[in-house]
Amino acid sequence: MKTIIKSFLLALVVVMASCDLPNNIDPKSATAVTSDVLFTNVEISLFNQIGSVNVNRNVFRLLSQYQTEVTYVTESNYNFSDRTLPDTHWGILYRDVLANAEETKKILNNTLFTDKQELKNKLAQTEVLEVYAYQMLVDAFGNVPYTEALQGDANSRPKYDDAKTIYYDLVTRLDKAITDLTADAGSNTFASADVLYGGDVTNWLAFANSLKLRIALRIADVDATKAGTMITQAVASGVFTSQDQSAILHYTGVTPYVNSYYTEYVLNARRDYVPSNTFIDKLNSLNDPRLTSWVTTSDYYGGIYKGLTYGTAGRYSRFSHFVDGILFNPTYPVIISDYVEVEFLLAEAAARTLGGVTGAEQHYNNAINASMTYWGVSSADAATYLSQPTVAYTTAPGTWKQKIGTQKWIGLFDRGIEAWNEWRRLDYPTLNPPAGMVYSDIPVRFPYPYNENKLNGTNYAAAAKAIGGDLTSTKLFWDKY
Amino acid sequence: MRKVITLLCLIIGISWAAAQTRVSGTVVSGDDGQPVIGASVLVKGTNIGTITDSEGKYALSLPAQAKILVFSYVGMTIVEKEAKTGLKVTLQTDSRQINEVVVTALGIKREKKALGYSVQELNSDLNNAKESNFVNAISGKVSGVQIKQASTMGGSANILIRGNKSFIGNNQAMFVIDGVPVDNSNTNSTDVADGLGGYDYGNAASDINSEDIESISILKGAAASALYGSRAANGVILVTTKKGKAQKGVGISVNSGLLFTSADKSTLPKIQKEYGAGYGDYFDYADINGDGKDETIVPTYDDASWGHKFDPTLKVVDWVGLDPFDKVNYGRQVPWVAAKHDIRDFFETGAKYSNNIAIDGGNEKGTYRLSYTNVSEKGIMPNSKMNKNNAAFSGSYNFTKNLSFDSNVSYTNDANVGRYGTGYDPGNPMQSLGQWFQSNVDINDLKQYVVSSNGAQRTWNYGDPINGDLSPIYHNNIYWTRNVNYENDGRNRLFGYINAKYKIAPWISLEGRASTDYYSEMQEERIAIGSNQTSKYSKYLRTFIETNYDVMLKANRTFGEFTTTGLLGVSRRRNEVASTYAYTVGGLLVPGFYNLMNSKSPIFTKENDELLGVNSGYANFTFGYNSFLYLDLSGRVDKMSTLPSANDTYFYPSISGSIILSEISALKKFKPLSFAKFRLNYAEVGNGAPAYSTGKYYTQNTNWSTLGVFSLSSVLSNPNLKPERTRSIEAGLEANFFEKRIGFDLSLYKTNSIDQIMPVNISRASGYNQRYVNSGEIENKGVEFSFNATPIKVGGFTWDLRVNWTKNVNKVISLYEGVDNILLTDSWDISLNLAKGQPYGILRGTDFVYTNGKRTVDATGHYLYATNTDGSNKTDCNLGTVLPDWTGGISSTFSYKGLSLYLLVDISKGGKVYSVDQKYGVATGLFAETAGLNDKGVAKRDAVTAGGGIKYDAVYADGKVNTTYIDADTWGTAWDYDQIPTAEYVYDASYVKLRELSLSYTIPAKLVKKTPFTKISASFVGRNLWIIHKNTPYFDPETSQSAGNIQGIADGAYPSTRTLGFNVSLSF
Repeated sequence: MKTIIKSFLLALVVVMASCDLPNNIDPKSATAVTSDVLFTNVEISLFNQIGSVNVNRNVFRLLSQYQTEVTYVTESNYNFSDRTLPDTHWGILYRDVLANAEETKKILNNTLFTDKQELKNKLAQTEVLEVYAYQMLVDAFGNVPYTEALQGDANSRPKYDDAKTIYYDLVTRLDKAITDLTADAGSNTFASADVLYGGDVTNWLAFANSLKLRIALRIADVDATKAGTMITQAVASGVFTSQDQSAILHYTGVTPYVNSYYTEYVLNARRDYVPSNTFIDKLNSLNDPRLTSWVTTSDYYGGIYKGLTYGTAGRYSRFSHFVDGILFNPTYPVIISDYVEVEFLLAEAAARTLGGVTGAEQHYNNAINASMTYWGVSSADAATYLSQPTVAYTTAPGTWKQKIGTQKWIGLFDRGIEAWNEWRRLDYPTLNPPAGMVYSDIPVRFPYPYNENKLNGTNYAAAAKAIGGDLTSTKLFWDKY
Repeated sequence: MRKVITLLCLIIGISWAAAQTRVSGTVVSGDDGQPVIGASVLVKGTNIGTITDSEGKYALSLPAQAKILVFSYVGMTIVEKEAKTGLKVTLQTDSRQINEVVVTALGIKREKKALGYSVQELNSDLNNAKESNFVNAISGKVSGVQIKQASTMGGSANILIRGNKSFIGNNQAMFVIDGVPVDNSNTNSTDVADGLGGYDYGNAASDINSEDIESISILKGAAASALYGSRAANGVILVTTKKGKAQKGVGISVNSGLLFTSADKSTLPKIQKEYGAGYGDYFDYADINGDGKDETIVPTYDDASWGHKFDPTLKVVDWVGLDPFDKVNYGRQVPWVAAKHDIRDFFETGAKYSNNIAIDGGNEKGTYRLSYTNVSEKGIMPNSKMNKNNAAFSGSYNFTKNLSFDSNVSYTNDANVGRYGTGYDPGNPMQSLGQWFQSNVDINDLKQYVVSSNGAQRTWNYGDPINGDLSPIYHNNIYWTRNVNYENDGRNRLFGYINAKYKIAPWISLEGRASTDYYSEMQEERIAIGSNQTSKYSKYLRTFIETNYDVMLKANRTFGEFTTTGLLGVSRRRNEVASTYAYTVGGLLVPGFYNLMNSKSPIFTKENDELLGVNSGYANFTFGYNSFLYLDLSGRVDKMSTLPSANDTYFYPSISGSIILSEISALKKFKPLSFAKFRLNYAEVGNGAPAYSTGKYYTQNTNWSTLGVFSLSSVLSNPNLKPERTRSIEAGLEANFFEKRIGFDLSLYKTNSIDQIMPVNISRASGYNQRYVNSGEIENKGVEFSFNATPIKVGGFTWDLRVNWTKNVNKVISLYEGVDNILLTDSWDISLNLAKGQPYGILRGTDFVYTNGKRTVDATGHYLYATNTDGSNKTDCNLGTVLPDWTGGISSTFSYKGLSLYLLVDISKGGKVYSVDQKYGVATGLFAETAGLNDKGVAKRDAVTAGGGIKYDAVYADGKVNTTYIDADTWGTAWDYDQIPTAEYVYDASYVKLRELSLSYTIPAKLVKKTPFTKISASFVGRNLWIIHKNTPYFDPETSQSAGNIQGIADGAYPSTRTLGFNVSLSF
């Protein structure tokens, strides 16, 4: 009897103590990865978000009025809460882009490099993308989490920092990256993992300087002195000098790495957007030869280019469509920064007499010509276009703001985010408020994520107060006019 | 207590002694004189004994010194008689029910009166109405248990006992068969739960074959279930299976049923019949038939019904006439009229056949039972069927007087085709039919014209037919969805255990049990080429294995007036879940070929392999004094693999006690009182973490050509997790009067769950979407009341009445780190949340501005929205909880001789449900309320200037009644969701339902005797026959997307299903 009880108690001890429990490590998830695979993800995530036309992710082409919605005109009428769009834009930039970029840097810093320049270059490549992403966040929302952001466990409710302070810190970081980016013998960069440039340091440097040039002009209205210095530095260090250097990602054409138009219009067979009247009317009035590359004619309206009145519902079949051979091609690329944009920035610098840049007209022409070439317009047609009094820099109507603003808006075609940014700053072209709204209803700011109120309430409230209200009418610090 | 020992000994073995005399006799019931089968016959003071056979007969060899025989049977008084042969003993029903035995945790049978906690049993009325998912059959019958049934074929039943105890984790009750845990996983994707589409594959416990269930015990509180450990914190459904009975020969029973199911039309929307297709009043014009004149063409690309007023004199070309491959109909012109057949004609009559045959038998050495069941079902939508086969064997055998074993093995195989797509998804026909549709499209046309002669889909929703684009713009033809884009799935499951008992001494035994629950399942989903989404094929394979080993030492001793029992046990649990999910990417290459290789781009594959283990030790001691006072102490220690090693071992205790008040001498004199007991308990249950929530991982994305693409996991792990804890206290009073004619059982409880392990959404500026935390507290306080009475018992007529009522008050006391809201899910403008200080599941969205309690409009007649201080719409107004205020059930059984009528009314009061269907159904001009006349007698769709339009039932800011009419003639006007706050579509989810009705007849034994059968009964059964009361427009307030924590959002809701049929049982 006793032996049985004893052996039972022994069994109990054996089961509890020595019977090994399975370990708690997921065999089907990676516990360690290389910086390469994260860096590739950072690039892809950034381009995907900027290029997306998914109505749940990116509606900036509506805000810049390149296109408008056909039936469900909610977002065209500036209701973003239905699909919590700000949450998605913010979430992708912070999580998919920035958090992975930070992790890339962490892994790099924990890796032993025999070539110290390799570490510097890789960190700098990552840093340029981070600066880009942060600028997008500030441009959309104003004050955003920065110093306390991306700390994971350490701080799940980061405070928001002042937009201008972030901007200036981004410049400092960009300067360091520009200093660090150095080409020397050997493949000492993110090379094949760099799906943008294949590790070409010269191109990275040009991209970084072009980004610096963009930031400089963004603050030109509020801090001309700093802008001037930055322009001088960027031009001296080398901005894009041809479209070949531009930050353009070409998709592989193999799902999921296909352009978002292809996913929505071809794979998902959606027909949600057509070109807006704002866009087509402007291009029609200027006889823009790029129209053929971008949009089709409307049979319903007798073979003309016809856009749907912005913000109103209409029938897809009746209006011009995007050219499917170009925009709906699975490999249709996404541009995040290009030579066209740089030339417009230089034109503006010259017009503002900032940073020692001169020749506004030449830069203006260069920009338009580069865009024409990129979109397959012959140089003859481009010249004809430029020679029109409505287009030629000297004769085009209005101030330099209007001339450059209008042409830049066209030159930035399909880059909704940057086009909306520059429209807010240059205040041209004149967009169309949707029916029942007035011009001042067109958003000049993206509202904060609706979930921030619930998940980070105190800091959200403080930030909303600091910027003058979490409203689409609250202007950003650089949007002075 | 002696009885328990006796029973135990009987099970363990029957000893045979030498030098014996043989006696025999019969045992009959005092109620009806019928033989008592399985009654215990024991030689007093020994363990020698036997049980009676099917004719109530026993035979026993007596040891030399034997004098007295003790006769007993559950629920009957014990009788002692001097041993002699030829005895006929009559056992009387024990009205004071002191012998009532119930099954408790670990399958241990206990005297009910000794329990210090609430256990509710279900026997005879469990499966009156032949529900195929037996979980649904519990609804309304037990207090403290809330069941939500799916309206899809084979969909998940949501079962909550005493409220939501976990914020984000599993709140479903645990299922146990004969003391052995059985898995109730739900493999539904989070998309299904969130209403984003997919299929509801049901809950795994639905494999439990209702034909094999003898009874169900429901352990509601932690004290009752603590011995099961962590998983029992949400309560336990204990299933006891049917066993073989000792009898002469072989017992055979056959049970066959045929049930018909149909859509409850009161849960379908009413479609307006005045206006046709369009987002506004227009047609297209083109020359389709080539006669040189333009025809009037229906705008097929619009999925709304704001179009032109119907006019039979107007001839139009509709979608049927737009397919150039249909030579017969191309260009045909039809009158512009409303569809003759609408949503109400889509649903078919379903049928369910169930057949069961069981064979059982046994003798004093052992028993066996073999059962085979087939259930085949055809749903209420085209191309939907389920087929389930179940074979089960249970047996017991006594090897020696001290060593015995019993075992139960069951195999289930099910194969299903065409489950119903759920949520806001093209796979759900209700998305188009019930939200985005044209009132002119006839269901019969859709059924007739599904595929064009070129193999392409024919849909009413062509993108641009005039210009030759015949692809669906938004919606598939629902028959294409059902017949071409169907899913199929299947599961093979083996469940079984072996239990061995060794009696060390008369008062102590050692018991060992090994069990396994093993299944593999497969799910295939399809989207054909030519559908409105990228064509796709996906395959999901999953295997689940749970093994449990238990070793228990059980002892019983009596010391004078004191009875004691002791239990010491160890157990080892291992779970392994391995799954592979793969799908084609970028579309399919070859039409109609569903193979992962038929993928345009490289396939996506997700593998999952989850291994977890728990080692446990437990102990339980009970003390009883003079059948008057009882005390139970138990404790369990778990060591769980999913917790960090520093925190992986945790102990939790429980204590319970009861006083039999009716034994108090003062009350003993009170004759009407038959029995009364007061009980009190306190218990804690600990719980571990989900597997792999403590380590840091990277997620792999699809390769970019040959480059790897990884990202940080979006969920931040937590290496410092500690166990969760649930603490509960419960008090109860039960009593019977007038020999059980009236009785009640009242429980009061309070449960606090703290340190919850959960992934919570965090600001994504932190770099993560979610993080695992160990925080928060949720409280459930409640009252459960059950009442039973036999108001009439005259002659052969009896009316039994049972009422149960439950009120659970749930409150989120704290969340984490000062956060006062956690988002559970959101879709469009509605979100479901956990909010500090509020009950579980708060709906949030935009709300009206109320003036004196009335909705307020501005001067233009449009609703004012509650706003933030900066003037923007408040998107987070509290619109109420999805939890009911109380639930209850009333059942009545009227029996007269062999005839019995059973009625069950199921009631749920309060709680909210949001309807996406209603929001879109009116916005698209589809529902009946958007047409007809306004209160001025003018058509609502006429212009306001012509006396039309509608006015909202509201007041102006100054409190005066709204008199401003606004246009309601097109998309985006008065019925549009952009004009109306979210609160409009939040409804009270109360209901009163006639849940079950059955009329059964058992042929009297006298008549049966003349047949080869021993029992014949037939019944007419019905389920969900009538929704007696509801406050929702159209849809069933009970609707849900899936089982789980996401409740209260109706999106693409199916009608509820009525079941009606009959059932025949034969035994021979």
